[in-house]
Amino acid sequence: MLHQNLEWFFPHKVEEAVKLIEQQGVILHGGGTRILKTSPKSIRGLVDVGKLNLNYIHHADKQISIGAASTYDDVIRYSAKTKKLSLLAQALSEAASTPLRNRITIGGSLKDFPIWSSLYAPLLALNAQIEIADKHDKVISLEEYLETGVIKTKHLIKRIIVEDEPHLIGGVKRFALIRFEYPLFTVAVALRVKKKIISEARIYITGVKGRHKHCKRAEHFLLEKELTDDIIQQATKHFTPKFVSDYKYSAEYKEQTAKVFFTDLLQELKGKL
Amino acid sequence: MKLEFKINNTSKAFELLPNETLLNVLRNNDFTEVKCGCNEGECGSCTVLLDGKPVNSCQVLAMSVQEKEITTVKGIGTLYTPHLLQKTFVEAGADQCGFCSPGMVLASYSLLKENPKPTREEILTALDGNLCRCTGYVKIVDAVEMTAQKLQTNNLEME
Repeated sequence: MLHQNLEWFFPHKVEEAVKLIEQQGVILHGGGTRILKTSPKSIRGLVDVGKLNLNYIHHADKQISIGAASTYDDVIRYSAKTKKLSLLAQALSEAASTPLRNRITIGGSLKDFPIWSSLYAPLLALNAQIEIADKHDKVISLEEYLETGVIKTKHLIKRIIVEDEPHLIGGVKRFALIRFEYPLFTVAVALRVKKKIISEARIYITGVKGRHKHCKRAEHFLLEKELTDDIIQQATKHFTPKFVSDYKYSAEYKEQTAKVFFTDLLQELKGKL
Repeated sequence: MKLEFKINNTSKAFELLPNETLLNVLRNNDFTEVKCGCNEGECGSCTVLLDGKPVNSCQVLAMSVQEKEITTVKGIGTLYTPHLLQKTFVEAGADQCGFCSPGMVLASYSLLKENPKPTREEILTALDGNLCRCTGYVKIVDAVEMTAQKLQTNNLEME
């Protein structure tokens, strides 16, 4: 339950918001869905991002900028209209439910990074960058954001930047028993293929031990190869995410399931070539 | 504190606490057509439209929606002047216990307003956040299809 003496702030400038969240117990409010799920009593102030003009999706100079206050639904609609960001839109359209997708913001999801996140794997596979504001504005890769611990610092996410790569083919698979359930893991693959030969592979999985894994061995194996049934089988052997057992599933079960999903995903991509 | 909200095309001032959800504020102020089911954003009984889009009001902090248009199911039609969609829900038998109906109607309304000729798959996606504990899904989807058919046949637009 959130504290009933909670203080709300509605800044019009990013700098004001950044200053406000420097205070102890003051955090950002985007869609609010995660705040209500966790409802920590330690929160004494909420800084609403609604007036910061961060709800936009722009395309310019072969880059797509997604404002951090854009919702999952905004991205899905943008993708349906422009045929861009389809890898991301595919993952987001399978996440949560329509009324929640209308509230969950991209920035909020990135900052929180719940273990069931459907957002990270596709964004990592798209080599996304992230513009953040703390004491200084900076643009860093999403991978760096995770690896160097920036995610744990106090900051405001302004936008996510994704290169517009029309020739990239990709797909996402998430493991959930029913559509509405939180996925156990999400695997995303993006491939650049020239004359049937893979010139670049990007493979990421979330929900694993340590939250996310960049599957470099499988990526390396796929380079300069044609996506045949045999190569897919061999690539799967190089795809070795590690999981943690929980009350429902053993780590081994998850590992094997992830391999099956990875194989299926590559088969689907082979069909697109 | 007292704040103004725009609900069903009318301005209303409500007393509320800064940690209250939109669902609580609405129900405490006689908008009891907004139902409280799971209170966790999973069942969709508390669905309202925020600027025309369905949201779970139990997952929205009231303070964050002061400048948005809120629509409850009574905002699209009342008991005495029901909306075509509401009439069709009754006609199709899509109103068993009625607890999920306000949410189902609003989610369907939002869909039809944007897409007057949805496929069955599109209807299922639009209603994916609304659970019916009577499991009357087939008739609910039928009701949305029937409404779309009526709109087409009579050359009407969703209002």
